[in-house]
Amino acid sequence: MSPHRSLRRRALLAVPAVGVLALAGCSGSDDSGSGGSDSFSLMYSASNTLESPFETLANEYMETHEGVTIDLEAVPNDTYGDTLRTQLQAGNAPDVFQTEGGSGQTRSVIPLAEAGFLAPLGDGAAELVPESADSFFNIDGTTYAQPLVMNFSGLILNQTALDELGVSEFPADWDEFADLCAEARDDGRTALLVGAAAAPNAGMTAMNIAATRVYAETPDWNEQRAAGEVTFADSQGWADTFQTIIDLNDEGCMQDGAVGAGFDVLTNGLATGQGLGFFAPGATATELSQAAPDAELQIRAFPPASASDPALGILSPTYSLSINAKVEHTDAAEAFFAWLAEPEQANRFAEISGGLPVTGLEDYDLDTGTYAPVADLIRNDEVTPLPNSGWTNPAVYEALASGVQGLLSGQETVDSALASLDAAWDR
Amino acid sequence: MSASSGTSETEALVVPRAKRRGPGGLRQRRAGNVKFGHWWWALPGVLLVLAIHYGATSIGSFFAFTDWTGIGSFEFIGLDNFRAIFTDSGYLLALGNTLLIAILSVVGSNIGGLALAVALNRLLKTRYALRVVFFMPVVLSPLATAYIWRFIFEYNGPINVFLESVGLGEFARPWLADPTYAIWTVLLVVVWQTTGFAMVIYMAGLAGVQPETEEAAALDGAGLWQRFWHVTLPGIRPAVAIATTLGLVQGLRVFDQILALTGGGPAGATETLATQVYKEAFSLGNFGFGAALALLLTVIILIFAVIQQRITAGKED
Repeated sequence: MSPHRSLRRRALLAVPAVGVLALAGCSGSDDSGSGGSDSFSLMYSASNTLESPFETLANEYMETHEGVTIDLEAVPNDTYGDTLRTQLQAGNAPDVFQTEGGSGQTRSVIPLAEAGFLAPLGDGAAELVPESADSFFNIDGTTYAQPLVMNFSGLILNQTALDELGVSEFPADWDEFADLCAEARDDGRTALLVGAAAAPNAGMTAMNIAATRVYAETPDWNEQRAAGEVTFADSQGWADTFQTIIDLNDEGCMQDGAVGAGFDVLTNGLATGQGLGFFAPGATATELSQAAPDAELQIRAFPPASASDPALGILSPTYSLSINAKVEHTDAAEAFFAWLAEPEQANRFAEISGGLPVTGLEDYDLDTGTYAPVADLIRNDEVTPLPNSGWTNPAVYEALASGVQGLLSGQETVDSALASLDAAWDR
Repeated sequence: MSASSGTSETEALVVPRAKRRGPGGLRQRRAGNVKFGHWWWALPGVLLVLAIHYGATSIGSFFAFTDWTGIGSFEFIGLDNFRAIFTDSGYLLALGNTLLIAILSVVGSNIGGLALAVALNRLLKTRYALRVVFFMPVVLSPLATAYIWRFIFEYNGPINVFLESVGLGEFARPWLADPTYAIWTVLLVVVWQTTGFAMVIYMAGLAGVQPETEEAAALDGAGLWQRFWHVTLPGIRPAVAIATTLGLVQGLRVFDQILALTGGGPAGATETLATQVYKEAFSLGNFGFGAALALLLTVIILIFAVIQQRITAGKED
């Protein structure tokens, strides 16, 4: 009898004991890196192949500034936005983290700032934001992120393959581009590589065409759309963009099976010279040069419909850093931001990431290397920011990529694709 | 383990006692015997299940009736999310795809699994090695194998190359980007991966079917199919119940394969509720809407599971 009762008593004690242990284990993770006032934590999205410019520059900063500790945390690019949002919502996000300008992604500045997660930054950051990208980083005159590098998006071309084909001058309008497509096909290649099953490439292809078809004539088209003055459905420019995609397919400009191709087809095709080029951010050229050192890679803007139409390139700030609104002493982080804003660091970041420096672009040597063909466009400011940076929510870009694949598979028409963009915008 | 055994082990050990002990229930007289069945043994597990399974799910279900983006504040919007689901053709297509993949994958993997189980039940000398081979896809990562299948179905991949080499070039197509064939290609990969699981369940069920009964039926003149239909199949009814229930629940939740093979494309042709939940809640920042889709999926799974239980409970001898 008594062994049973004492056993029961012990068992009853075990339950709260286990409960206490469980609760102790569940206590929140310790604050990341906010020990001394000269240390802070920095979270960034991990690059696949290149060294991360965040890591390199943070290490250089720690070496040159005594007593400063930066706790680095790399998160895979695919899940970076979700991880950031989850941590911000849970209250255990790092002190400094990478963001992206605009509203179009889960890591975008504007939605995070509107939700109160970002600390306002000073003039040093505000000065780096180009005027055309003002609405991507600022709300009511307050800047919430500091851009770190400029990204030129365009057609990454295998110049070596172009030379082999005997092309001396790059097409200046649509007709010449169609001729190039035919020439390439005769030689057993294709002028363009498109991965319609890879949403980022499908969207990038459409945006590069839209640069000249929509934003060359109406640079503020996004603002007009936000104000409800125009829609995708009644925009001749966007209709032309989608029609051009259909035409590219019909003229044999794209490789066979483009409707289902992924990134691997693009990189393999370019490296082997099977395809002359594909649309991508400029930094991709730097990455690919390492993978295919024999091919000379350059970046170009997609030609306008006719030679009399203005040519336009896509240049926008990318990779930005923001400070967590919960951080009490932002001096250490702000000092780091100021150091990053100096021209020397801007050039270093551009060099490592393969982009263009966010400050001092006028003095930058554009005439040699990857950006030579578009040097004039950049110098003359004949550029527009990435169209989707100024879109209200990520669903619009998703609908764009889906629309491109639908046009190639025959599931969508130009009108239905435009309608789906409007529907996504209004959600 | 036979369902029709008479006495159970525990029954045999109960000894008659003079008086009752208390609310704890029956207890063993012999000292040192390990006791099972006290309610507080299960308490930690019950609490965990309540907190993680039911508590977290309920909180998620609450957000189905809001417009929360995942960050910041939200507003209660009632049934708006559900109205949006049932009026948008894209989401109805996803709902249809969910049911299509679930039902056809159950049918396909169960027929295939049963056929394999019957074939590898007896006789073949290599049956043990073959069983391993057919079960292997089940233990492989669905994501990794889906990427390999994606390479196989690529436009310049092995399947199209093979079709062209045997002169069937006109059948070559971008399998995973074809609006008609993409969903069937995905279904093929899902069935390939789950057939081994059904096979194992049926093998266990077949082990309980006495070979003497089948021999008796054969002696009576029953053909192969008649023996199977009238002797073997009734004997493995519990296995059919288990395999179809598990297969249906798994089939309704297929996610990895679709995301790796087509990403939901082309243009949403292979989207299911599971992929839409992920896309809406995490990629597009519509957490409330994603929660609504998830709630709908949960209700569908619940309905099918209950129907399943009713049908198979009625069939028990």
